[in-house]
Amino acid sequence: MLSALEIEVLRTSFSVAFFALLWSLPLAIACAFALSRRFPGRFTLDGLVHLPIILPPVLTGFLLLLLFGRQGPIGHWLEQALGIHLAFTLQGAALATAVMTFPILVRAIRIAFEAMDARLFEAASMLRAGPWDRFFTIALPLAGPGILAGAVTAFAAGMGEFGAVITFAANIPGQTQTLPLAIYAVLQQPNGEGEALRLAALSFTLAMSGLIGAEFLQRWMVRRLKG
Amino acid sequence: MKALDVDIRLSRGAFQMAAQFSAPADGITVLFGPSGSGKSSLLSAIGGITPADGQIRLGKRALNDSGLNLPPHLRGIGLVFQDARLFPHLTVSQNIAYAWKRAPVDKRPAMDALARFFDITALMERPAGNLSGGEKSRVALARALAAAPDFLLLDEPFAALDGLRRRAFIRVLLDMHKNFHLPMLVVTHSIDDAAAMASNLVALRDGRVVAAGPFDQATRQPAFAAMLDSRDSGAAVSALLLHSGHDPAQRYLWLRADHIVLAMERPVAVSARNILEGEIAAVQTEADGSRLVELLTPVGTILSRVTAEAVVELGLAPGKRAWALVKVHALQD
Repeated sequence: MLSALEIEVLRTSFSVAFFALLWSLPLAIACAFALSRRFPGRFTLDGLVHLPIILPPVLTGFLLLLLFGRQGPIGHWLEQALGIHLAFTLQGAALATAVMTFPILVRAIRIAFEAMDARLFEAASMLRAGPWDRFFTIALPLAGPGILAGAVTAFAAGMGEFGAVITFAANIPGQTQTLPLAIYAVLQQPNGEGEALRLAALSFTLAMSGLIGAEFLQRWMVRRLKG
Repeated sequence: MKALDVDIRLSRGAFQMAAQFSAPADGITVLFGPSGSGKSSLLSAIGGITPADGQIRLGKRALNDSGLNLPPHLRGIGLVFQDARLFPHLTVSQNIAYAWKRAPVDKRPAMDALARFFDITALMERPAGNLSGGEKSRVALARALAAAPDFLLLDEPFAALDGLRRRAFIRVLLDMHKNFHLPMLVVTHSIDDAAAMASNLVALRDGRVVAAGPFDQATRQPAFAAMLDSRDSGAAVSALLLHSGHDPAQRYLWLRADHIVLAMERPVAVSARNILEGEIAAVQTEADGSRLVELLTPVGTILSRVTAEAVVELGLAPGKRAWALVKVHALQD
């Protein structure tokens, strides 16, 4: 069975992945919808969204530290105005995870928006539905399977983020120590390989069930939408 | 009821359109033309889906003008597309309710009456993606009406239907026009469908209006005759159509020149009902060498196609009397 350490690590991983998804999903939907249409600055936005894939994760974490750390412009403002500080906290780990999984999320949702039949928007507009109305009543529900699949995949990937998280949020047990960070920590100890293997197996199982779950959810929703 | 006045220009790549016409508040106006003549682009522009330069007016209200281009959802115009475009994530009743909820409260039609009128009561809880072609067309019509538009545009809404269901659908359109007092502009490229529905005609060719007006008059204009396929050459006659289950209606029939046989004496031993006596007004030579004989009859001018030899043998000439035999299937609706 699972040890106390493993349960704590799992709980941290789930919390981090959950909050990461919670904060990034609305922005990801907005970005994906924008990227599915033509507008000036589209390539810049596309590049910006995909930046975390290209950059070394440690660098992403370091950039977050520069921006959201106590001395950073955003971090300083957050602490002064709202009393929030993110570096070296669970919400900080969630922020780093959100940035890292953002491209996965945006890509899945964008594909759903692009695959959508734009002629349905024309039909809705001829039934007195304005642009926002059409977005919420036609685009969003029809993108449902893509959004769900993206969310599950991003959640599964989010539980395994390492470089950016350890740089920005450190490796604090019970706070920011997620699965991969715990694996790293036990490997530092003498004779930690056995525990590392257990954690690795756990991590692998979760990631695989996430992927398979996403696939099944998507199929189910597509069936439901097609009637 | 509001009339639609259109005077617009639009260009799409090499295609240029400049169209000016009016669709009266009363009756069905048919927008007729070969494919590629710009019928669908014109509907999109009137609906506000594609921007156009010029003026569009619905009654006294301007939809398009210099510096004004109302977005589609504020125009009060309905558009039924060729491919129905039902929302696949909603049921039939949710599709109709989508339009109904967005219609002005005082103009909303009764949902159940709408469902009964279009005979879709049994389909209401079905997913919209799971219907036959005819069912989809009827639901699309019901949905368009539920939005309570001031004017309805229809882009070949029966293109997906075969002959029998097509004619049934046209009767639904006619009944609908009568019941809901809704002016309509209907696109078609079939002269028979046009005759079966139209009170007015707007003929479009290469982005220009070449003939317009009351159907029988507009179809007599040379520019209209020139755009027809030679097999479709003919003339419109006004007739009282009797359908069981439908009110008698004054409609037009399109009598093809190829379906009219001429005789120089009153024929005997034929169904007299289908014989029209008249006076020859003109004999024209067609591009393929055949002759079109114009006959003035009590129901209007009709055309008959004959060979050059027949003109000589029968002595067909202006001023002579002749009898036209109309093939029964030409009268079937």
